[in-house]
Amino acid sequence: MTGQALYETDEEHVRQFSSLPDTRFGKLADVLPGQPAPRLDRDELRARLERMGRGAHADDQARPVALPTGFAELDAVLPGGGWPVGAITELMPETQGIGELSLLMPALAQLGRAGRYLAWIAPPCLPYPPALAQHGLALERLLLVQAQDARTVLWAIEQALRCPAIGAVLAWPTSLDDRRVRRLQLAAEAGGSCGLLYRPPAAALQPSPAALRLRLRSVAGCLQVEIQKARGGRAHAVVMHPAAAICA
Amino acid sequence: MLWLCILLPQFALEAAAGGARAAPGTRSALATLALWALQWSSQVSTRAGSDDAQRIAAAHGAALWLEIGASRQLFGDHTALRARLATELTPLGYGFRLGIAPTPQGATILARAGLASVALTRAQLLRQLGPLPLRFLSLPDEQLAALHGAGLRHIGALLALPAAAIARRFGPAASLYLQRLRGATREPQRYVQAPAHFASRCEFSGAISDTTALLFPLQRLLAGLQGYLRSLDRAVQRYSLCLEHHRADATQLTIGLARPGRDAAQFLALARERLAATTLAAPVHGLRVEANELLQPLVLQGDMFSHAAQQAEQLQHSLDRLAARLGHDAVRTLERSADHRPERAWRLRAAQSTAQLTVQLTAQPATQAPDRPCWLLLEPRRIDMPRELLAGPERIESGWWDGADVARDYYLARGEHGAQLWVYNDLRSGAWCLHGLWS
Repeated sequence: MTGQALYETDEEHVRQFSSLPDTRFGKLADVLPGQPAPRLDRDELRARLERMGRGAHADDQARPVALPTGFAELDAVLPGGGWPVGAITELMPETQGIGELSLLMPALAQLGRAGRYLAWIAPPCLPYPPALAQHGLALERLLLVQAQDARTVLWAIEQALRCPAIGAVLAWPTSLDDRRVRRLQLAAEAGGSCGLLYRPPAAALQPSPAALRLRLRSVAGCLQVEIQKARGGRAHAVVMHPAAAICA
Repeated sequence: MLWLCILLPQFALEAAAGGARAAPGTRSALATLALWALQWSSQVSTRAGSDDAQRIAAAHGAALWLEIGASRQLFGDHTALRARLATELTPLGYGFRLGIAPTPQGATILARAGLASVALTRAQLLRQLGPLPLRFLSLPDEQLAALHGAGLRHIGALLALPAAAIARRFGPAASLYLQRLRGATREPQRYVQAPAHFASRCEFSGAISDTTALLFPLQRLLAGLQGYLRSLDRAVQRYSLCLEHHRADATQLTIGLARPGRDAAQFLALARERLAATTLAAPVHGLRVEANELLQPLVLQGDMFSHAAQQAEQLQHSLDRLAARLGHDAVRTLERSADHRPERAWRLRAAQSTAQLTVQLTAQPATQAPDRPCWLLLEPRRIDMPRELLAGPERIESGWWDGADVARDYYLARGEHGAQLWVYNDLRSGAWCLHGLWS
């Protein structure tokens, strides 16, 4: 799908949403019979969606609900406009090495500039410092945690999520079920951090309470992000080009 | 002088609830509690009065006496102190009553009577003692009976008698006790001395084979450590926890902190993780906590409650917890290192040293280094020659000086499912290896 297609999807959204007699989204008077549904432009729609995302926590406006991904196309379709903060995101790449880390790099670099720490828990290979530095990550605020067994990995993820100094936790758990994801979700809420779990592609078949679930695959050398589930939003497919620099 | 008596009416029972053995356990539990009390006053005593008075006092429960006149300015008035004592003693499982008076014996009687009021002067003390019954006095039963027989019902009536008459009728010991009670005579005190090293022990009446059951008695020992450290204005970076077994060598655990600390809750949290990861070789019969290296506490300057300092503190606690359960090498931070060989262009460093209160803003030199993959394989993996090379070669020849020299041509290759591989062709052997993943 191209950028143009994305806009069309948004237009579809407008029609669907504005026909809903939902006072939370629009005025009830707008949908009285006989009157045409109002047409909202994209920015207005996004602003309203954002307000909807925050609706439940109207009192803590100060706390950002999402961390911009650094990719405008992706921000536009994620509820809140970025990686959900204080929640779990599941990333399910088809295989390793298709750009599944580059996707996070702008957001992680931003956290580092804000003085927050990153925890990498049980990664499958070594996160290579020269490359991470090239992406702008603050290496001195990156914590690499190794744990022996599946239980300890989960425990470490939970500990890291609960620590307010840690802005994002990237983790590669070996075994997970929805009960455990819910537990991690609560920990992320408590610590206000982004929990980013990398899971095998087969995990997409199971349901999960994670706030956001993305399937990642490589299409013609570029990363394609498919939103399988987004709390407070809709499933989308969007093509990204984070690996373009390398493709050349 | 102003004395605070902490009366622990059910001490023997409560000490045993922590698993401590009744007779010898009580004394060591009281010694631990005396160390805990040192944080409030440098003058703490576990005995007051003559041996007789001490024996009688024991029937009312265990007690600690703290001179709080000197430290009143530090801890605010007695209501604030009362509240702080309550928040610290209740989690330890001790019920207590307090009495505050200008003499230790007076404070004891007020505590026994459970009066909420405080006597700040001797006149106030006499007024408050007046209506109390004689049984609150630390006098032997036969003397109490004799006083009763003489028609005395309240302490006030007894104190109204001339001292010489009391000495003649009830003996010099009773007279001396009453002189000390009203403050006419100073009572000699033996204060608890803070030892050079902390060691506190608790012996169980039964064997404990579950590590979580150790946490409650351990909490009491660690409260003693915290009070001891606070009284000396010192901190520790590690303490040793010794689990004693009957027929086996004791299990020695060293609990380390990233930075010197003296918070009992933090000590306990670390011990909890450590114990959870420990399998007991044999049932535990006793517990000992020792701390030898006393350090200067970390001085948090004006920004003690600033955001950055708070964050550093929270991070430190998380790191300590992780290290306690996963081991000290499990949490690291990464560093670049100046070497052309990819496998040597990085280093691991202990994570502890990074969490400094002053955040280092080391400007990264703007490098025009070639692109590198996000994943590196620690051991390059032998592969067949890739079918599709997308970019390269980049020649890396280096290391002839240290015997680990390499001569390789690196390429970007396409793998299955569109994975982008960082492969090299060894120029000496001609072998192809996978060394990283572009991610």
